[in-house]
Amino acid sequence: MNPLSVVVRTGCDLFAWFMVVFGVNVLVHGYMTPGGGFQGGAIIATFTAFLLVAYGGRKLLGWANEKIFDLFEEVGLLAFFFLAFMGFPVTFFYNYLVKPLAAGGVVPPAGTTALMSIAVGLEVSGALSMVILTMYRGIRMFETAPMEEEIGHDR
Amino acid sequence: MTNALHISVLAVMLIAAFFALWFKDLISSVISLAVFSLMMALEFYILQAPDVAIAEAAIGAALSTTIYIIALRACRRSKSEGGRKQ
Amino acid sequence: MKKMIFVVAALLLGAMVVGAVDNAHPFGFPGKTPMDDFFLADALPNRSTENIVTAIVFDYRGFDTIGEAAVLFTALCAISVLFREGGRKR
Repeated sequence: MNPLSVVVRTGCDLFAWFMVVFGVNVLVHGYMTPGGGFQGGAIIATFTAFLLVAYGGRKLLGWANEKIFDLFEEVGLLAFFFLAFMGFPVTFFYNYLVKPLAAGGVVPPAGTTALMSIAVGLEVSGALSMVILTMYRGIRMFETAPMEEEIGHDR
Repeated sequence: MTNALHISVLAVMLIAAFFALWFKDLISSVISLAVFSLMMALEFYILQAPDVAIAEAAIGAALSTTIYIIALRACRRSKSEGGRKQ
Repeated sequence: MKKMIFVVAALLLGAMVVGAVDNAHPFGFPGKTPMDDFFLADALPNRSTENIVTAIVFDYRGFDTIGEAAVLFTALCAISVLFREGGRKR
């Protein structure tokens, strides 16, 4: 995909990082406001799609290191399983970190619900970004011949 | 009041779904599917399910549209070459 | 002949959908509520979670979330296999 016009790229410069901040906000406050792991991870993965649309795939493949997304996914999945297995003396998925509602501390009073939301958010954001990157790199396989000039929509 | 809101949103959803099948151009069809997903997110929000609305807006309107467009580019490329001759 | 079968099937399916929607509970009045009442009463005092949807997804029904994560991981594996490089060498 060729890069779009300068208007779209400036809009991407302005708004793309706020998208990541908003996704992290939805993700870490999943235990008390609407949202959660899956929704926040999907919003963070939209960032990759936005960069792909605005700046073109050739630049995005130069910027993005796929091992980081791979690491995100594996770390999220392993943290999720670890948090689930830690409650094994009682039951699988026992909420062993739960505190009374007014208690303070680093971990929110919701306990493993908040931590699992962060873990699932990491996993979903890594997986969906990897899907987009892998699909784009995959369709470049078919471009063996030099492509003809694209007929863009705005240039 | 609420009924009018529901009916208008559902009517836009119906129109978008009809045009997703009607258009011959596949890019236009994908865009009307995105409109359908956006209206569906609005409908979920009106029905007081904001969790599902966030997920639908992020997945349906943004990510699946991107994935469809990537797939469409791959199809169109190999079609315009008239098949792969080797 | 084939088209007639399709038309009959579409009419039958439409009638069934209309009947199902007509018999649905009105919005805000679910049929049986003991589980809902338990979740609504239990999530805030015992689990300290304000968002009850997240409490159900990650705490009460946490085992189902493993299935969701497995579905996503399987989709990623399938896409990596389908689009791997060097797959079309002849």
